[in-house]
Amino acid sequence: MVGKDDILKIAKLAKLSVDESKIDELTKDMGEIIEFANTINTAVTNVESEDFDEINNIVNAFHQDEIAESYDRELILKNREGGLDGYFFVKRRSEK
Amino acid sequence: MSWELVAGLETHVELSTKTKIFCSCTTEFGGEPNTHCCPVCVGLPGTLPKLNEKVVEYAVKAGLATNCSIRNISKMDRKNYVYPDLPKAYQISQYDKPLCEGGYVELNSGKKININRIHIEEDAGKLVHQRGDIYIDYNRGGVPLIEIVTEPDFRSMDEVVEYVEKLRLIMKYTGVSDVKMQEGSLRCDVNISVRKQGEKKYGTRTEIKNMNSINFIAKAMEYEFRRQIDVLESGGEIEQETRRYDSGLNITESMRGKEDADDYRYFREPDLVTISISDEQIDRCKKSLPELPQQRLKRFVEVLGLPVDDAELLIKYQKVADYFEEASAGVESPKTVSNYILSQIFRRFSTESEKEEFNISIPPEYLSVLVILAEKKKITSQVARNTLEKMLDEGKTALSFISEEDMQGVDEDDLRRLCQEAVDANEKAAAEYLAGKEKAIGAIIGFIMKYSKGKADAALAAQIVKEIITKEI
Repeated sequence: MVGKDDILKIAKLAKLSVDESKIDELTKDMGEIIEFANTINTAVTNVESEDFDEINNIVNAFHQDEIAESYDRELILKNREGGLDGYFFVKRRSEK
Repeated sequence: MSWELVAGLETHVELSTKTKIFCSCTTEFGGEPNTHCCPVCVGLPGTLPKLNEKVVEYAVKAGLATNCSIRNISKMDRKNYVYPDLPKAYQISQYDKPLCEGGYVELNSGKKININRIHIEEDAGKLVHQRGDIYIDYNRGGVPLIEIVTEPDFRSMDEVVEYVEKLRLIMKYTGVSDVKMQEGSLRCDVNISVRKQGEKKYGTRTEIKNMNSINFIAKAMEYEFRRQIDVLESGGEIEQETRRYDSGLNITESMRGKEDADDYRYFREPDLVTISISDEQIDRCKKSLPELPQQRLKRFVEVLGLPVDDAELLIKYQKVADYFEEASAGVESPKTVSNYILSQIFRRFSTESEKEEFNISIPPEYLSVLVILAEKKKITSQVARNTLEKMLDEGKTALSFISEEDMQGVDEDDLRRLCQEAVDANEKAAAEYLAGKEKAIGAIIGFIMKYSKGKADAALAAQIVKEIITKEI
């Protein structure tokens, strides 16, 4: 059961501001989403996970052991502001 | 009452594939940081992994070589944990349907160390810690691993060391890994607990992570065994936790509370399809397996007549054992070949990795010819030894160094004359021999070898000298 506190907690984690007047509506929506997700529990009983693949007859999608050129390092590090000295860099957390 | 050690091992072996487990980046060791990477192995959103077929083949071979049964149907799972060495915040591994299950490795004592499972998974990146900052290199991220998990069957450090050495050799012989421990291709986690002798229930275990040296494994276990006993004897309790071994201080220290499977929230990897292996494929893998180290050891002892210790030393280094086999072809006594390798040739290598590489200037057939010449008494063993040194120095055949004079040896009449001279010149040694000091004869034989320039047959000379000394009484 989703409550008002859950909505506030999720909003905080997601760094979203939520209008007080919308909370009831969001609580109801979120409850319905969870309810819908729960239906999957009734759908998969007695089915082995690998049986899913038999629906499409897909097994053994392999790549062959042949080397392809890797990406330029600049491109690889681009998402992390270029990294530092060729490395991904994680700065020490402050002691606060 | 004394305490008993109970230990189990998880061994990570890096497979010798050319490419990573889920992408086609190279697995080459080293390289500038983050130059063996692509969007798949740095875990960028929207990328899809694709399993390397060779990884499956190598894992099946490793399983067959350790007496495991192979699953016809297998799958990959996500193991979730958050740490910077895993860019996706999960590792793709196998949970409830590993490729191989239920094998064993047999120790010299006949005891079997049971293998619970062997599964495939991706390696994590490498972290460099500097003043609290972390530098991450994902070159190693996605390199294929097998994890070999034993039951808690070890009862001593010696058993663990023997098992790791045997496992290392099996992986090397099957060609699934180069098992270079110094490069981290074989790393062990040890689960260890203690209990009073005779007790059935296991004690609380700790896990010592990521050791890549057999020496460190033994030392870390020794320390942890003592530490746990000290804690229990002083009334404390063992905490289930993960510890690391500090080789500088020779201690283990706590890293974090130990996770159980539930903490990892395993679930099926939805981006990878089922792995299906037919019985025919398993058979093909079985047939492609080479002779395994233990079988080779048995053959060297039972068929080629080597002492067990010599055979063990030879099979320990695959290239040396191969060389020995080739050099033994056509000789009467493989033991002579083994003697030359283990004494004269091994003296030229000072480290384990040099023996492993076995870079030697002469091909095995050159050694073979030398041994045959000695066996047919064309040259004496002394000449053979001297010649081998020159061959190794210059990489040439035996006949490049053996003169006609060397081949002639010393005929028996000349040898008898020389023996008489030697006895006359070494009266003290002859008297000591007569008084029961067998070794004294060595001085007389030394004299003969010196004056015959090493060409005399030492065994025949010893026989003649003994006849002369005893006749002279």
